Amino acid sequence: MEKIKLMLVDDEERFLVTTRKLMEKKGFSVETANSGITALEKLKQVEVHVIVLDVKMPGMDGLTVLKEIKTLYPLVEVIMLTGHATIESAIDGLKLGATDYLMKPTDLEDLMIKVNDAYTKRQTLEEKIRVAQSKKYLKFSQDSIKEEG
Amino acid sequence: MKHNHYEAKKRIILASMILVPVIPFILALGFGYYFFATSIESSTIASMKRIASDHSHMIEAFLLERKADIEFILYSNSFDEVCNSEKLTHHFSLLKKKSTAFVDLGIINAEGVHLTYCGPFALSGKNYKHEEWFLAVMQKGWYISDVFLGYRQVPHFVIAIMRQEGDKRWIIRATIDTQFFNQLVEKVQISTTGEAYIVNHMGVFQTTRRSGGRLLERDPEYLIYPGYNDEIKTFIQKDNMNTWYLYATTWFKEMKWLMIVRLQKKDAFKSLRSAIYVNMTISIFGIIMIIATAFYLTGRIIDRLKRMDAEKDELGQQLIRAGRLAELGEMAAGFAHEINNPLQIIKSEQTLIMMIFNDLKDRGELKESEDLIELEDSIHQIKQQIERCAHITQAILKFARKTDPEAQDIDLTSFISDVVNMKEKQASVNGIRITTRIDKDIPFIHGDIPQLQQVLVNLINNGMDAIIERHGSTGGEILISANKHKNGKVAIHIKDDGSGISQENIKKIFTPFFTTKPVGKGTGLGLSVCYGIVDKMKGELIVTSEKDNGTTFTITLPASE
Repeated sequence: MEKIKLMLVDDEERFLVTTRKLMEKKGFSVETANSGITALEKLKQVEVHVIVLDVKMPGMDGLTVLKEIKTLYPLVEVIMLTGHATIESAIDGLKLGATDYLMKPTDLEDLMIKVNDAYTKRQTLEEKIRVAQSKKYLKFSQDSIKEEG
Repeated sequence: MKHNHYEAKKRIILASMILVPVIPFILALGFGYYFFATSIESSTIASMKRIASDHSHMIEAFLLERKADIEFILYSNSFDEVCNSEKLTHHFSLLKKKSTAFVDLGIINAEGVHLTYCGPFALSGKNYKHEEWFLAVMQKGWYISDVFLGYRQVPHFVIAIMRQEGDKRWIIRATIDTQFFNQLVEKVQISTTGEAYIVNHMGVFQTTRRSGGRLLERDPEYLIYPGYNDEIKTFIQKDNMNTWYLYATTWFKEMKWLMIVRLQKKDAFKSLRSAIYVNMTISIFGIIMIIATAFYLTGRIIDRLKRMDAEKDELGQQLIRAGRLAELGEMAAGFAHEINNPLQIIKSEQTLIMMIFNDLKDRGELKESEDLIELEDSIHQIKQQIERCAHITQAILKFARKTDPEAQDIDLTSFISDVVNMKEKQASVNGIRITTRIDKDIPFIHGDIPQLQQVLVNLINNGMDAIIERHGSTGGEILISANKHKNGKVAIHIKDDGSGISQENIKKIFTPFFTTKPVGKGTGLGLSVCYGIVDKMKGELIVTSEKDNGTTFTITLPASE
């Protein structure tokens, strides 16, 4: 099975390092970015399935990054990570297209579950797209056969 | 200090409430009395003066008339004619017809010998040449004597007139009955103590005085009478009996007689005295009324003031508390948020350690030993403590939550019984009975169900803890009641008969992290979270408590429209 490509975006360097180690041990392929800008830069170069995005970061704010990602890469699943126990930022994130949210401090277990769920959701979506595209292709080829015929 | 402050205020209000009406009141009464007194005095004095003057004129006129009577006899007859006893008797009888005042009538020659006499006494041949009246009439031409005894040893006075024809001089003399004259003078009647009498220039009574003083006695007060003067004198003087009298005196014009009219002062100013009594009564009554009213009103004002101050203090404290809590909330939220980041890292690190530790164990690189078990336990403990920290920060963030609750109409009847059902089992384990009393017509309230539930559960938990603290497992009672409150609000009361809260602690009860529970048992955030929730719902959370007697929490929330 294909490794889930995960990206962690947080301004806490040590969090990135440790979580990367943990997730890699659990069999994920992990990219890290310590700011929104870096994350967007890296996304241009590598393919990522799921992003875990901290809501509150210096510089580019988590919600702005989310908006940007969703515009450029609508298929990328984003899980918001919030320091606030308040649901408000999470709700805002969900409205903007985030798949789910997690509250700090979060368990590795929870993180893995949510990342897997997000990946599954993405897989399902990709599958649907593939089916649709193949139907379209089929129809196209049938039409061209008819024309030829 | 507060007490003194009220006392001072009370004194000021009392003083102004008494003085402001009393001063004009006394001034009005005083001036009224003064003008009344002066007008009474002047009218009394004026009437005394009038009486004195009328009376003296009347008496003088009487005497001058009598003088004119005998003058007529003297000049209408020759010396010989008047010396004729029959003729003189005829004239005397005519005189007596005219005025009964005449006692006798006689003719005296220049040598002082009584030539003819008609009257009740045998006075013919008497010689008067050394008598005072005779000398005076010879010198002056006419004379009205003072009252004297004379030969007859009866008090009388005489009117004598001299006629001169060439070298020949003769005198006609008439005696006036003092009794008659007395009556004339005495008939003045002013009030009950008023009297009139006459004294001569020596202070000897010429008429009797009703209040004591016989004819020809010396008037004991004469010496302080004013001197000769045309005017009528009025004055107030004490007599020898120590009675105050109001006097009016005037000298006769033709004689050295003093007309005296006097009236006892207390009689003269009787109406004034009754005015004083009335005045005093009104003053005393009025002042008592003013003072009583002032005391009553001041008492009420001070009470009102105290109540208002207490309410103000209470309100001020509530505002301070609310402000402090809001500030604390903000600070706590920032703090919690900042703690969560390092907490996340610690948690990750712990997970990593655990993972590596397990890997090492799996690979047999760690030998089973006591230390290993302790190490594992310790790592496990770190995880637990992180969880604990996470709970605290989450509670803080809930307290400081800024979002509006998701409001909906709540039927308190079912809502409260749901909450009670939830807690009933736990309560009965400790022997605690939860009863509810909800008004039938209780309006719906507008609020967030899970949040309000949290508040109620929290308050019930606190109540149970307090009951257990006080009664142990013997149990107690929690009463949850709900009723309509003023200003379109609904009140929910959670009353327990537990251990209560001390006065000192009650002020800090809503402050985050304030707890009286043992370490690890409570975060001290429960009530502050409740407070935050109720505050967000535009309600109020109030506590009243008595140490060792129980606590009541009251939630007031706006009823839904």
